[in-house]
Amino acid sequence: MITGDEIETDSHSILSRIVTILLFLLAQLVATLLIGSVALAVRFEPVWSAEAQPVAFIKPSDARAGSLLLKNDDGYADATRLGIDVDITVSGPTIRARVTQLFRNPTQQWVEATYVYPLPDGGAVDTLKMVVGDRVIVGDIKERQQARVIYEEAKQNGQKAALTEQERPNIFTNSVANIGPGETVLVQIEYQEPVHQSGNEFSLRVPLVVAPRYNPAPVVQTADLRTDGSGWGVTRSDPVPDRDRISPQVADPAENAPVNPTSITVRLQAGFPLGDVKSHYHEVQIESPNETTRVIRLANGPVAADRDFELTWKAAAEQAPSVGLFREHVGSADYLLAFVTPPSVAQAEQKQFAREVIFVIDNSGSMGGTSIVQAKASLVYALGRLRPADRFNVIRFDDTMDVLFPSSVPADARHLDTALSFVNGLQARGGTEMVPAMRAALTDNADADAEHIRQVVFLTDGAIGNEQQLFDTIAAMRGRSRVFMVGIGSAPNTFLMTRAAELGRGAFTHIGSVDQVEERMRGLFAKLESPEVTGLTATFSDAAADITPAALPDLYRDEPLVLAAKLDKLAGSIEVKGRIGDRPWVVTLPLANAAQGKGISKLWARRKVSDAEVARTMRQMSPEEADKAILALALEHRLVSRLTSLVAVDKTPSRPAGEPMKPSELPLNLPAGWDFEKVFGERGHLPAEPTERRADAGGAKTQLALLKRPAVVPAPSTLTLPKTATDAEAKMIAGSILLALGLILLAVNRRQRLAR
Amino acid sequence: MTTPSAPCLALLITLVGIVLLGQGAYIHAKAWVAQLLLERAFARTITTGQPTKPWSWADTWPVARIEVKRLHVSSIALAGSSGQALAFGPGHVELTPEAGERGVAVYSAHRDTHFRFLQDVVIGDEIDVTRSDGKRFRYRVDSASVVRFDASGIDPLRDGYELVLSTCWPFGALTPGPERYVVHAMLMGPGS
Repeated sequence: MITGDEIETDSHSILSRIVTILLFLLAQLVATLLIGSVALAVRFEPVWSAEAQPVAFIKPSDARAGSLLLKNDDGYADATRLGIDVDITVSGPTIRARVTQLFRNPTQQWVEATYVYPLPDGGAVDTLKMVVGDRVIVGDIKERQQARVIYEEAKQNGQKAALTEQERPNIFTNSVANIGPGETVLVQIEYQEPVHQSGNEFSLRVPLVVAPRYNPAPVVQTADLRTDGSGWGVTRSDPVPDRDRISPQVADPAENAPVNPTSITVRLQAGFPLGDVKSHYHEVQIESPNETTRVIRLANGPVAADRDFELTWKAAAEQAPSVGLFREHVGSADYLLAFVTPPSVAQAEQKQFAREVIFVIDNSGSMGGTSIVQAKASLVYALGRLRPADRFNVIRFDDTMDVLFPSSVPADARHLDTALSFVNGLQARGGTEMVPAMRAALTDNADADAEHIRQVVFLTDGAIGNEQQLFDTIAAMRGRSRVFMVGIGSAPNTFLMTRAAELGRGAFTHIGSVDQVEERMRGLFAKLESPEVTGLTATFSDAAADITPAALPDLYRDEPLVLAAKLDKLAGSIEVKGRIGDRPWVVTLPLANAAQGKGISKLWARRKVSDAEVARTMRQMSPEEADKAILALALEHRLVSRLTSLVAVDKTPSRPAGEPMKPSELPLNLPAGWDFEKVFGERGHLPAEPTERRADAGGAKTQLALLKRPAVVPAPSTLTLPKTATDAEAKMIAGSILLALGLILLAVNRRQRLAR
Repeated sequence: MTTPSAPCLALLITLVGIVLLGQGAYIHAKAWVAQLLLERAFARTITTGQPTKPWSWADTWPVARIEVKRLHVSSIALAGSSGQALAFGPGHVELTPEAGERGVAVYSAHRDTHFRFLQDVVIGDEIDVTRSDGKRFRYRVDSASVVRFDASGIDPLRDGYELVLSTCWPFGALTPGPERYVVHAMLMGPGS
């Protein structure tokens, strides 16, 4: 719009106007500067850069050990150190292990140390001792909350205290409060475990490292509506509510020397003349004092705790003992432990049954390195073992999932070729969304095919934190399918494997190195192809018995029946009945001949606790009932469980009032053969969020796949330099350009109007 | 006919320009004003021997004066190297020893404000660091290098009496980057 006024304006007044505008702008600039200086008082937001401080290391458990998150903390150069000694005595059917953890504090501060460590999932932890100087303080069993309170009080009072808590049946945490400058505190825990038997081979396994777990992100809430029809319920929002407690820091092997040196001694008293004794993943020296005893030590001194220790032994005789019966008298009760291996009966030729086998392979980032090689080799071997009459399918998953064929296909050459090239092309990457894969594997849409036996072979390292979700899935969907777990890698999650196999009425096989693939897979296929032992029952002729496992499982070839019982009197006999394939089988064992054993009551109680947990998963027991039963058992038998902890407190305070204490969480090694970058992403950076592809076949629930936050540890002795750039220059340049542009436009505009 | 949008757009661009310019100037103004206040607080710290906050609501306090006489520059360093502190002055990086102590004392500052002068520092220059207890230490620059922020190679607890001044690299760049310019100096002995 042009007014007459403006038309009449002469060039002189334009100039003066531009000058006025410029002056105005200048005044504004000065005002901004002044206001800025004054605003010094008010503004404290970081204005120095758009990008956040580069993250040196992030720990999921910052809530618990916040001070370690300080960006320039002294790393591990002089943080608390740990040494581990494992001393194991095998007496016949039971293993007694003593794990001594030595916490040394080389710093000038008082420290609280926290160490997350694994134990065998069937282990019954019953003793905690703390050694301070020359005093030994023995821990008491308490309810978990109460133990925590006792520990926290002692911590506040400056008393030395140790606390052992169970995070998972195979993950425990030891906390030690008030370790003085330069001091060393020993913490010792002891556990009891039955010897594992498979065919002619006996074995024990000592897990030494908790592998980093993938914890699905809590994106979608699931609602638990009460079944009483009231319409009210609770929402569960996080599949891994205790993610902080099972995600300790992991030292990047490329930047840190291995931590947590461990020495291992095994005194093996098998109770029968020993043949071959072998350690699978560690070099050992074996002494033979007599024909039934061996002493096994690590050959080259302490090793880094980065893989499981596995020892197997065989009897000198060709045939291993197929029956074992052991007893212990505790209090007013007798406890019995029985091992019975059913005879292997060859399947009659004409009765060869057809099978439908669903192979599931985990190709998530945690499988990177040697694990994926083992898994692929195992699967290739398995595909080669299929017979033309069999049907099969292949599922692969990370945080996404692919099902190779829309439904199971005959194992003919064409389909096998497709499957082999699919398997060979797999790469390890991404998160571990195991539940949708299990759900897809258990989805059984071929009722017409009921004459096929349905078997799911699941190859994974089990490195997830939401075990319970997987168990719930199996319990709800197993139908006629049997789940066979194949544990891959140097430190698989054995708790997940055994419990999943138990719920899925299958078996668990572990493959720890590429050399073992063929041998172990052959064993697994013997199980898959042989008739199982079904309908097992155990009855006592005279004694009233509380037997565990409550429902005896079906057995596969070479597997022994292991049962524990609490008896009111040791009299009469036990009769075990069942069917091998379609033939009846029965064996009777007189109790009077049972040999004296040690710690059998603990094993019974530990097994009862597992039963209660399984019953809870299967919804045969309400959570309250199960918890009550677990608590009673654990307190009576002094066992650490989900609901009970061991706590030891030194009566004399050692930390002077007013001295601060620093929490120190001990880092773990990455399990051997793992690829750090595959698990945690590129060093020093957060992993990119995976694309939001859906892994859910059923479509019931979305889980945005978000990789677990990395726990990258900086190299011990190098300093991270702070960020030292501002965007002042950029802003000023951009500002000047815009200002100039604006002024030119204004001037041009003005001139255009004048020209008119 | 001219639509009214053209002058409006021009005015808008001008305004945005002013705001940006103001923000940039504000960062410099803050750095400059803060140094004046810090200088005063540091003088008081030396005389009283007590850490003195430069302004009542500050969450940091002056710990040292860093001077390069040849370049006529002087800057008061603050405790800590958080972003807040660095807006006001060089920061004494956490967990590194104080100047004059065994180890590597590390000070960091922005490349476009307090440590802009590092680009003019050459090997052989003398850097004076006055601590809050009044002791003064003279260092001689013996090397300068460009490193990544997470691979500085600086072990703050190493033997020897050393000083490191670090800032972002390259000077004059407009965007933040991972590289740092590191000036390394060795203690010559207490200065005059």
